[in-house]
Amino acid sequence: MSEPESEPVTGSVNGSVSQPSLRAERVTVGYGTHVVLSDLSLTLPRGRFTAVIGPNGCGKSTLVRTFARTLLPRSGEVLLDGVPLGRWKPKRIAQRVALLPQSPVVPDGVTVRSLVARGRHPYHSALRQWVPGDQEAIDVSMAATGVTDLAHESLTELSGGQRQRAWIAMVLAQDTDYVLLDEPTSFLDLAHQIDVLHLCQDIRDRGRTVVAVLHDLNQAARYADHVVVMREGQVAASGMPSDVITADLVRDVFSLECEIGPDPQAGTPMVVPLARS
Amino acid sequence: MSAPQTRARTARAVPRRAGDQHRLLRITDRIAIPVGGRSLVVGSVIALLSLFLSLATLAWGDLGVGPGDLLDAARGAADTKVTFVLERLRGPRVLVAIGVGLALGLSGALFQSVTRNPLGSPDVIGLGAGAGAGATMTTLLWNGAIPTPLGAVAGAGVAIAVVHWSTGLGFASPARVIVTGIGVAAMATALTQYVVAVALRDSAEGLAAYLVGSLGTRTMQQAAIIWISLSVLVPAVGVLTHRLRLMDLGDELAEALGGRATHTRTWAIVLAVLLSAAAVAVAGPIAFVALTAPHIARRVTRAPGPNLAVAALTGALIMVAADFLAQHLPVLEGMPVGIITAGVGGVYLGYLLVQEWRKASV
Ligand SMILES: Nc1ncnc2c1ncn2[C@@H]1O[C@H](COP(=O)(O)OP(=O)(O)OP(=O)(O)O)[C@@H](O)[C@H]1O
Ligand SMILES: [Mg+2]
Repeated sequence: MSEPESEPVTGSVNGSVSQPSLRAERVTVGYGTHVVLSDLSLTLPRGRFTAVIGPNGCGKSTLVRTFARTLLPRSGEVLLDGVPLGRWKPKRIAQRVALLPQSPVVPDGVTVRSLVARGRHPYHSALRQWVPGDQEAIDVSMAATGVTDLAHESLTELSGGQRQRAWIAMVLAQDTDYVLLDEPTSFLDLAHQIDVLHLCQDIRDRGRTVVAVLHDLNQAARYADHVVVMREGQVAASGMPSDVITADLVRDVFSLECEIGPDPQAGTPMVVPLARS
Repeated sequence: MSAPQTRARTARAVPRRAGDQHRLLRITDRIAIPVGGRSLVVGSVIALLSLFLSLATLAWGDLGVGPGDLLDAARGAADTKVTFVLERLRGPRVLVAIGVGLALGLSGALFQSVTRNPLGSPDVIGLGAGAGAGATMTTLLWNGAIPTPLGAVAGAGVAIAVVHWSTGLGFASPARVIVTGIGVAAMATALTQYVVAVALRDSAEGLAAYLVGSLGTRTMQQAAIIWISLSVLVPAVGVLTHRLRLMDLGDELAEALGGRATHTRTWAIVLAVLLSAAAVAVAGPIAFVALTAPHIARRVTRAPGPNLAVAALTGALIMVAADFLAQHLPVLEGMPVGIITAGVGGVYLGYLLVQEWRKASV
């Protein structure tokens, strides 16, 4: 009950429609005394599917947390539509930016539908825990992720792949411009990984901006249309996958010697590690 | 766009968790609150049972005040015996029992929800023991200078403050809160025993009943304290409820959904402590009601989440039932209510632990 309650408006400023935007400007972020991101600036390109890649512990999760303001920067700002996140009410941020954490807590005894319904929280208040768009947003998200038939299943009793789709349905029901997914494909078998990546593309095709932390460079190159490569809390490179993913970069960032060839299906860069000499 | 659909067909279409189905309680367009259908039925049954037991407690025995007498009293036409029983003897006692039960049930449900721990309760984190130590010190060391209930509330406050301070993370880490709370409770109990041991024996006698929690010789003043506290604290809890529902998703996701996890947890714990403190002030540290009421509520409603209303009502039912037994069951005649709740609650706690272990070893 303490932050200034300004309500930035998206939409028209002086009659012209301003595009939504989300960017970090010279943010320094850390935990306790440990600084993870230092002086990092990054704009998330609108309407794209951005893959964030980088070695373990380089700060990918920290970056997406900072964009969703579940973690506050020590210095610098994240700007949503040009307005610092600190000046937005938490619920207004949640109406624009959704985050699925890397390992969310699985609530006990909650059905898929009621999980998805929680995505509507940003639109509710203590007295008004329902708004006219709820039903449709929930149904559409469940259909898009293929969990409609699982509506009354308990989340704890689903397989990993089903559960992951239920989580994604929840963040879709939030109906945000920006959808941030922290490692949505980890712990899934290959077929389910591809399912989720297709889903990310579908979400982008519906006009949202998708940012997913991925570990598989080949998948990032093939399914995303923009990659951000991180190394030790810095952005090492960003741009089109075919421009960014090179043998030099992989050696630099992952300390891995490799050869890059074209993906036989899509022609995107494919990383093939060199044999041990 | 239809890739994911194929693998989802193995589902059963029959809902098994009936408690998770919500209906909307809508009053005009500005107020809409989801109410579990089953919770509504269960809550009503528990409320009716509590009411019935309260009336039975009033009506039983030689001094009994039947429903007819109550109606007379409401019209101001009751005789002096009935008036005396209602205003001095059984009336305040029943009102305190219901009020304390509601406060403890709600307090426990708040605690368990924000600590995400089925054993998280004001008792476990040292509130009751702290209250006991406070009451003991005010009674035995500074004899009468400070009223015992005030000492109890101060003791509870100190215990919680120590827990908050020694975890290093405030109330943010549920596991630390509980472990620290157990330590603080042990120290508070040791302090109580030390003070009792060195103080005069005779003044320790009346204190003994207070330390286990008692409803004997309650006054209308005490009934007023608990009910006024409830009338302030319950609306405050109401403001938090919709955010509490997100707490079982973990802090990060609750925060990402605009639920302000840290803020919500802090306020929920502050309110839970105040509710328990109000209960301690009028009835002493009554054991296990705050711990067991939310569990029973969850079992009977079969709904996930905090179940605040049903937990509060369950707390009231436990208190009224314990008080009924304490007053009218010959074997238990004159026994402080706290001993009965501790006996029954202790057995239930054991049962819970066994269940948790079973679940963990699957
Ligand atoms: N909650 C936390 N508290 C303290 N330190 C943390 C926390 N989360 C991450 N860190 C530290 O911050 C650094 C970056 O972590 P982060 O989770 O952002 O990395 P990551 O790139 O997502 O790694 P991974 O690929 O393993 O998920 C690590 O050194 C980690 O130890
Ligand atoms: Mg990570």
